[in-house]
Amino acid sequence: MTRFSWFSAAPVAATFILACASSPKPVAQIASSEGAIRGATEAGAQSVPAATLYLQLATESRDKALALVEKDKNKEASGLLLRSEADAELALAIARAEKAKQAANTANERVEDLKESVKP
Amino acid sequence: MIGSILLSLAAGACGASRPPAELVDARAAYAKAEASNASTLVPAELHVARESLDMAERKFKDDGGSGRTRDLAYVAQRKAQRAEVLGAAAAARGDARNSESERDQTQGKIIAQQQDKLQSAQSAMDAQQAALAAKQAELQNQKQMTEAERTARLAAEKKAQDAMDALAKSMAVKADTRGTVITLSGSVLFATNQAVILPGAQAQLNQVADALKTQAEHHFTIEGHTDNQGTDKVNADLSQRRASAVRDYLVVRGVSANAITVSGLGSTRPIADNKSPEGRAMNRRVEIVVGADTTAQN
Repeated sequence: MTRFSWFSAAPVAATFILACASSPKPVAQIASSEGAIRGATEAGAQSVPAATLYLQLATESRDKALALVEKDKNKEASGLLLRSEADAELALAIARAEKAKQAANTANERVEDLKESVKP
Repeated sequence: MIGSILLSLAAGACGASRPPAELVDARAAYAKAEASNASTLVPAELHVARESLDMAERKFKDDGGSGRTRDLAYVAQRKAQRAEVLGAAAAARGDARNSESERDQTQGKIIAQQQDKLQSAQSAMDAQQAALAAKQAELQNQKQMTEAERTARLAAEKKAQDAMDALAKSMAVKADTRGTVITLSGSVLFATNQAVILPGAQAQLNQVADALKTQAEHHFTIEGHTDNQGTDKVNADLSQRRASAVRDYLVVRGVSANAITVSGLGSTRPIADNKSPEGRAMNRRVEIVVGADTTAQN
């Protein structure tokens, strides 16, 4: 019981400290956001219509966050970076799903073509 | 009572108690993802989204609709959307695998069908070839048969002709309106007034029998003739018995009995003058008439 209290109290305390004191520069979050954006781009998200919106949101949020970091508004920047990473990850997932769907369509067309060729 | 007022004050201090739009969206997105095939195909991703939403809910409970709550809710919404998208991707990959295996099966079937067709075509061709070979063999056989028959017939005809020619060298053979007539002298064949073949005549009769056997398709008439000495009745009887004796001898030697007709003509058909002993001797005779080809008549 005592241990549980300690564990639940710790993040609350940390949040309180972060909210009221000047936050450190969110280096790790910047890296996560950048990595996710790069991953989505490499997966071809910018050429998949359903994914481009989220990739765009991810880059915009990252850019805003970087500007805030410049102004030492690290706490606000941290929230935007969280959003940026989530957007980029969704863009990546959509791009991969699109590829899987295309592959499925191709496979289906091939089998249909084959069946068509068998018909007397 | 005081506690509840304090709580509501605390909540008010950190923001409205109504959930922010981000959290509402996150809940809806999660509900949608949970209802999709993500729950069965990508349960781990759905679990990640659940934890993310829980975190936002806890934040909302603790801090109300703070900026941090909204950030976490935003992230939770994206995680839920992501889980749903990954579920669709997994479904697509499953479809692709099914198509591939269906394609493999179809290809296997096509190959099997083509092999079957080829096999039956081959069988049909084999059968045709066998039929052709049989037909060819039959034709060859017929040709050989025809050839053999022709050769055999020619040989038989030649043999028959040769036999008659040979006969003509040693005895009187001539052709007249009745056919080919072989004339045998009565004095050589029989003793006076007898109808028993003399031993000395056997060689001559054997030769005649051999010749007649080669004329299988012909009919023979054996005619007995006498001179004009004695009564007609005696002469008719004697000539009949002598012709029969010749017939019997020839049959014993292998000439077909059915092919022979016997007639005793007595002295009715002389071929020489009965006034001289030589003439009478010539009139005492047996004639064998080889008729026309019976098959040719039919």
